[in-house]
Amino acid sequence: MTLQHCLILAFILFAVGMWGVLRRRHLVGMLLSIEIMLNAANINFISFAYFKAQDATAGAVFSIFVIAVTACEMAVALAIVVTMYRRHHSLDVNQLRDLHE
Amino acid sequence: MSLISNALMSDIIFYVVAFAMVATAVAVVLAKNLLQSAVFLIFSFIGTAVLYLLLHAEFNAMAQIMVYAGGVVIFVIFTILLTSHLGESTLYVKLPRTFIALVISAALLAMLVHFILPAQELVTSTPTAGASYASLSAFAFRLLSTDADGLVIPFEIVSILLLVTLVCAITIARKTKEEEDK
Repeated sequence: MTLQHCLILAFILFAVGMWGVLRRRHLVGMLLSIEIMLNAANINFISFAYFKAQDATAGAVFSIFVIAVTACEMAVALAIVVTMYRRHHSLDVNQLRDLHE
Repeated sequence: MSLISNALMSDIIFYVVAFAMVATAVAVVLAKNLLQSAVFLIFSFIGTAVLYLLLHAEFNAMAQIMVYAGGVVIFVIFTILLTSHLGESTLYVKLPRTFIALVISAALLAMLVHFILPAQELVTSTPTAGASYASLSAFAFRLLSTDADGLVIPFEIVSILLLVTLVCAITIARKTKEEEDK
């Protein structure tokens, strides 16, 4: 287990998440894929903090802030999802092109 | 002797956990039903928590399980159940779209790995962090100390951010007056 292995694992997870975001047509499915991508970013933070950092605890604290901001983001995004479903009765991103109205 | 076997053991655990994480992430992307997707995401997050334990970041592993596997995914499952009928499969995705998305993300992955592979210092680097760098007490003292390198102000800002976003989420998601009258 070297830093390189951890980084490559994070890159693979990021690519899988991007695949999901590009592939899904359902809004909640896209949000789940975004979670995978943010998780990959967190793995980068932690592995650099463990292998490289002068001040390792600060590196680990950073990912706690990422987790907190992610929780905020999911709360607002899911509220928007519920409102959109109530208005359009659909969560297909291809049908949500009238947001500018 | 015992040290070598320890390193080998953590290597084996790392590869098993990494394989499980990638497999469950692919399952999240490919699952037909969104509920299955969310359940696979829980397993992926638990794998991440095990990886954090391997990297000696205990507090992060705990936060990962409590916030992600316990909070966010349950929230997502509630939303799926609120916005669709139980057992309904997701929207049909055409095969070319899946394929093009796969090609784009595989190209991104190939480029990133291509640039990371020549860096020798990433392969040979040994852990600089002490064995207990992110232990609970070190973490708590760091997060709440008011010294120059303490992190109490970001901590408070994050707590205000959480409050504000929760109020915003409730404001967005509640029914308006007209909708209640209907």
